[in-house]
Amino acid sequence: MAFSDFFQFYCPTKLVFQPGISKDFSAELAHFSLTKVQVITDAMLVKVGLVAPIVEGLKNAGIEVVSIFDRVPPNSELKIIQECADEAIQKEVDGIIAIGGGSVIDTAKCVDILLTYGGDLVNDYSGAETLSGPLKPLIAIPTTSGTGSEVTHAAVILDASTHTKLSFVDRNLAPHMAILDPELTFGLPAKLTAATAMDALTHAIESMTSIQTNPISTALAMQVIPLIRQNILKAVLNGQDLEARSALMTAATLAGIAFDHSMVGVVHGMSHAAGGLAGIHHGLANSIFLPWGMDYNFEKCVETYAKVATLLGIKREGLSETDLARQGIESIKKLRAELKQACGMAENLSEAGVSQDLLEAITEGAVNDGTSFYNPREVVKEDLLPFVQKAFK
Amino acid sequence: MAVFESSERLQEVLGGFFQFLLTQEEMAKKLLASKMVIKFNYTDPALSITIDMTGSEGIITFNDTKKAEVEMSMKADVAHRFWMGNVNLVIALARREMVAKGPIPKILKLLPIIKPAYVLYPQYMKEKNLNIG
Ligand SMILES: [Fe+2]
Repeated sequence: MAFSDFFQFYCPTKLVFQPGISKDFSAELAHFSLTKVQVITDAMLVKVGLVAPIVEGLKNAGIEVVSIFDRVPPNSELKIIQECADEAIQKEVDGIIAIGGGSVIDTAKCVDILLTYGGDLVNDYSGAETLSGPLKPLIAIPTTSGTGSEVTHAAVILDASTHTKLSFVDRNLAPHMAILDPELTFGLPAKLTAATAMDALTHAIESMTSIQTNPISTALAMQVIPLIRQNILKAVLNGQDLEARSALMTAATLAGIAFDHSMVGVVHGMSHAAGGLAGIHHGLANSIFLPWGMDYNFEKCVETYAKVATLLGIKREGLSETDLARQGIESIKKLRAELKQACGMAENLSEAGVSQDLLEAITEGAVNDGTSFYNPREVVKEDLLPFVQKAFK
Repeated sequence: MAVFESSERLQEVLGGFFQFLLTQEEMAKKLLASKMVIKFNYTDPALSITIDMTGSEGIITFNDTKKAEVEMSMKADVAHRFWMGNVNLVIALARREMVAKGPIPKILKLLPIIKPAYVLYPQYMKEKNLNIG
């Protein structure tokens, strides 16, 4: 890896890991002097009984839960954020507890902006480094192992009126604390387990090949790859496997810190486009596009892919650097086949129900996606289209 | 000491340079295709420059209150270093040397388009006898 001329590392999020800890983290809460909080979550998590024990724990810690906002949709939007923030402001909360996946945590970040500073979310704060100072305490409790939102300093929100995604990037957006309780993922369905873990694997690999990669994010990403390779199938086959669930949760958080510093590339570009155009799940899309995106970048990334291959468990002996790198990509395809057998996760766009008519538009979307700026190879429509076509079947 | 000694000087140099960029056919064509209104807010000295690229030709105004899709705020010194080709935009954003309001992907898309400007800026300064930095 070539050292870039500049890098910085800043992860202000306190991480606390322990199976079952979400029910009682009063020792950690004591540092925040919270009195009244809002819990932000989604209706499904309330329904399956994940939220109640956490709320009980907050109450036992002497914190009043004055609002439980459970209407966050899978892709959060401005209207929801405003409603949620209005409630938080009206109830005068002094902190936010986000319980959920990426959409819930991103929503909580934006609500925290409005709660702390007021104003208009889009006009005043969308963009990069627009906040003038810290936000009120935000504690993230992830219930999936994928997005890494519990440690990133970005939030992505849908503007339903214009069908565009708005991004908020600011060092102050990183949650103050993340409570990592792998037991919260016991009930995650097999397919979702597979898709979210593949999202985290993609974060790790793309963070290593991004033009903004750095030695610290790479150190984290290198830890992620074997953790996911060795545990993804175990968790898919047995959701209650605490060891595997713990590994995946830790890996997703590490991958979150890695890509938060290095950014991602063309795999995410294609996934963002396919998500917007065909509504395909982000993790599933990454799983489908990952080998083809790696293939697109191959010439620029042989050395890194060779390293990825060894981290995936491939023996180096007798193989040239290029062959080893190729084996790395093949090993990801093999992993996908195993996941398909284990839980029926789609291996290509056609199986995922994406129409062939959308392939050009997906390619164009990837070219225009913000991630293509960070991709090691320039993302050009004519060059990328054959790879999107390969991802179809 | 600041690179630009006054707002008038900043307007003359950067305003003039932006006007000059819009006469560069290739670049102007690509910039106009973005259909963006971009506003630069400078401090030390204070000045804002708005470039409206929504029409058939780019329009530059100063201290305009027109709503811009993208607003970039920075010290005038940083702007000077940027146009000299010495500032990586992404790093500048990460270090808060620049603040960007609006859709960041659209801003990043402009970077390859304005690349030739890094060569043109020092040339322009030389031709206009603007000895700065
Ligand atoms: Fe992702």
